[in-house]
Amino acid sequence: MSYRMASLPRPRTLAHPGPFGAVRIETLCAGSGRHYRLSLPPGRSLFDAIVEALAGVGVHSASMTLLDGDLSALSFCLARPDATGRVVATYSAPEAVGPARFIFGNATLGRSPDGAPVVHCHAVFSTPEGGVRGGHLLTERTIVGAAPVKAVATALDGIDLRITYDEETRMQLLKPRSEGRHA
Amino acid sequence: MPDIRMVESGRMGRVAYGRIAPNEDLVQSVEKLCLAQGFRNAFVRGALGSLVDACLARSDGTCQVVHGPAAEIVSLAGEVRSHDDGSLRAALTGVVVDVDGNVHGGPFVAGANPVCVTFEVTLEEWLPQPHPETFHNHCPST
Repeated sequence: MSYRMASLPRPRTLAHPGPFGAVRIETLCAGSGRHYRLSLPPGRSLFDAIVEALAGVGVHSASMTLLDGDLSALSFCLARPDATGRVVATYSAPEAVGPARFIFGNATLGRSPDGAPVVHCHAVFSTPEGGVRGGHLLTERTIVGAAPVKAVATALDGIDLRITYDEETRMQLLKPRSEGRHA
Repeated sequence: MPDIRMVESGRMGRVAYGRIAPNEDLVQSVEKLCLAQGFRNAFVRGALGSLVDACLARSDGTCQVVHGPAAEIVSLAGEVRSHDDGSLRAALTGVVVDVDGNVHGGPFVAGANPVCVTFEVTLEEWLPQPHPETFHNHCPST
């Protein structure tokens, strides 16, 4: 059988600065899902509200979908090519937006190397001018406004999501390891 | 008007988290993640990360390329289904942000969405009931 080759764009394979990592898909199973619905209250940062609510039910690793709400302040970064060539892509300087409408987003709760909670969050929002934008949210500097932001969190029981230095990309990335295993 | 029919009933099974490394294709990696975990069917429960460039299908058969690096994925929904020939197929749609913060959306074209730095995805196993006609819901009677 012969097919006409589709005129799809050729995907680019980018060379990263560090050595090629042997494992391409790191995966762990969390057993059956425990799910929580959160309402992130006005006046709190997304970070504090997520961390506090989930710590209260003993959850330290989770994957979340964040749903519609108001923000009184929002800070975010964009991923851009790194002009210095040290890494493939790097975050832009933070951009602060005043009030905004949070449309939706996804977030992961994990831990820093020393065990402090971290939240990695990408989201879409609309600005008072009517534009719809998105990016990597700085959750410590993003404050819930009058209408709570809702979240559905899936606990990743038994999985320790830890910020780890990745040699291939030369970046600090969240990686999964079994809970209780000490590096 | 065509009838609305429930295609399948079932329940959720295990949850798996995966971290996909640079230059691996998003759609096929989600399929491989299911192979690694032994999931025959799954739903995406959460995902974020970046692509070198994003390739999104349009309904007229063309595709839109959102140039990076990096095109950040801000939302991803989708499912993985097993087929009779033994293959697994992921259908993923989502919203990406370009390097200027503008948003674009659509289905991700398999084989054309290489991961840029990292991609995190949480899948929940879907366990269809073998005989949908025996499905009973347990809502309180009114």
